[in-house]
Amino acid sequence: MNIPKQPISQRILKYTLTTAIVFASLWSAAGLEITIERILDAPRQIGILVGAMFPLDTSQEAIDRIIPKVFESLFIAWAGTVIGAIISFPVSFLAAQNVAVGAVSRITKQILNAIRAFPELILAFVFLPITGLGAFTGTLALGIHSIGTLGKLSSEVIEGIDEGPLEAIKSSGGSKINELIFGVIPQVMPTITSYWLYRFEINLRASAVLGVIGAGGVGQELINQLRFRDFPRAGTVLICTIALVLIADAISASIRNRIIQGKVVKS
Amino acid sequence: MINIPKKPPPSYLVTIGIPFAMLFTVFSFQRVGFNLQDFRENLANRAIVTDPLFNPKWSWAWENTADAMVETVQIAILASIVGCALALPLSFYASRATNLNKYSYFLYKSFLNLVRTIPDLFWAMLFTVAVGIGPFAGVLALIMFSLAIMGKLLSETIDSIDPGPMEAAKATGSTHNQTVFTSALPQVLPNFTAYFLYIFELCIRASVILGLVGAGGVGRIIETQRIFLRFDRISPIIVIILVVVILIEQFSVWIRRRIL
Repeated sequence: MNIPKQPISQRILKYTLTTAIVFASLWSAAGLEITIERILDAPRQIGILVGAMFPLDTSQEAIDRIIPKVFESLFIAWAGTVIGAIISFPVSFLAAQNVAVGAVSRITKQILNAIRAFPELILAFVFLPITGLGAFTGTLALGIHSIGTLGKLSSEVIEGIDEGPLEAIKSSGGSKINELIFGVIPQVMPTITSYWLYRFEINLRASAVLGVIGAGGVGQELINQLRFRDFPRAGTVLICTIALVLIADAISASIRNRIIQGKVVKS
Repeated sequence: MINIPKKPPPSYLVTIGIPFAMLFTVFSFQRVGFNLQDFRENLANRAIVTDPLFNPKWSWAWENTADAMVETVQIAILASIVGCALALPLSFYASRATNLNKYSYFLYKSFLNLVRTIPDLFWAMLFTVAVGIGPFAGVLALIMFSLAIMGKLLSETIDSIDPGPMEAAKATGSTHNQTVFTSALPQVLPNFTAYFLYIFELCIRASVILGLVGAGGVGRIIETQRIFLRFDRISPIIVIILVVVILIEQFSVWIRRRIL
């Protein structure tokens, strides 16, 4: 059979990429001193840890300690998302090219990019000496990081709107403010709300982690139990976190679907 | 008077959801101890952080971060390659289009969801306990991290592939595995490459903080300086990290444009 061969340039690209990937992994593995023995031994070691966690610690004392911490993570994530949503909403209009003047939009975008560049954890440990150990610091860090990410996403939604309704409002004598309220906001609100919920899902995982440096939430509990080698209790913390994230994700995802796809009409 | 049709009544999502969300917001702010008054007072003490933060000790950072920064990049490279390679077969099992067995589809899908619920730093903590402190734990943690993201993105892409080529392959009498190899895999390979580059960027960002729990990389140096509040040493490290992250992102954007 006569199958046409791949063009030579593509084949060269393919081989270069394969070589580059193999070379990069070998270089990294060598640099990190990862040997075959360590890789082969890892499953056994992980098995020991998992085995040590069961049976889980379900004593009343453990539950009383862990559950409030898990919920604290939920509150941090929600409060952080609300801060991010409230502040990023007006800012995203300033960042959108089709709403704001060119220079304003460019400067606002750069500010949002700069905020986004710092991971939540780095923000959190910069705030820690100022606002102290606890949930407030975590909330602040999540809120500020969310302004950056939500601002960018929302401004992109605003830039992608249909100009038709705006022209209609203009031609019927509406002001610039009327255009924003009746033309832009109804078009972007569903997508932006679903981004807020999506950010909440991300923030929930981030807030679980924040406790590692003492910024509130369930991470503190996990790292403490692991340090004291109390593996059954660490297992309980882990299971509770997984349960919370799964439930919150499911609720948030179903609301997002409802917002984006509208009501399902049974025919 | 024009005859405007009546507005439909708002759905339950709005009439119940919005008041509930507001109540929950108030409650959350209370529980996290949100207090602008205290915040303003605390902000008066910002000098402990901001003074050293804006007086970076560059010479110290140059001497002490280079090795750790290379380690960070190596962790990200190795973990994203291995994680995505493992996710490639898993995603085909976790997609309805290519896995005909309802039960095994459900199992693989749940496995990927479960891996995704555990945050990256939790994986890092668990692996430092299991295999010891050091970059190996970090690599394992980020393998789980990239496996979860690639698994989700790729399996959803496979769900939405064009069924035509698969039918064509089936009509020529090929087995299920042959069908998947010859007509499903080539359809998603460009997406796979794009996702891989995206995950590599995420891994670079994530590997920076792994060191906070002892899983190697530049975070290890940040952690030791953080405990002593040496923000004059941390701020140049943060700047170096930002520059490296941005350079790597630009590189990845460049590759994406070349091959896609």
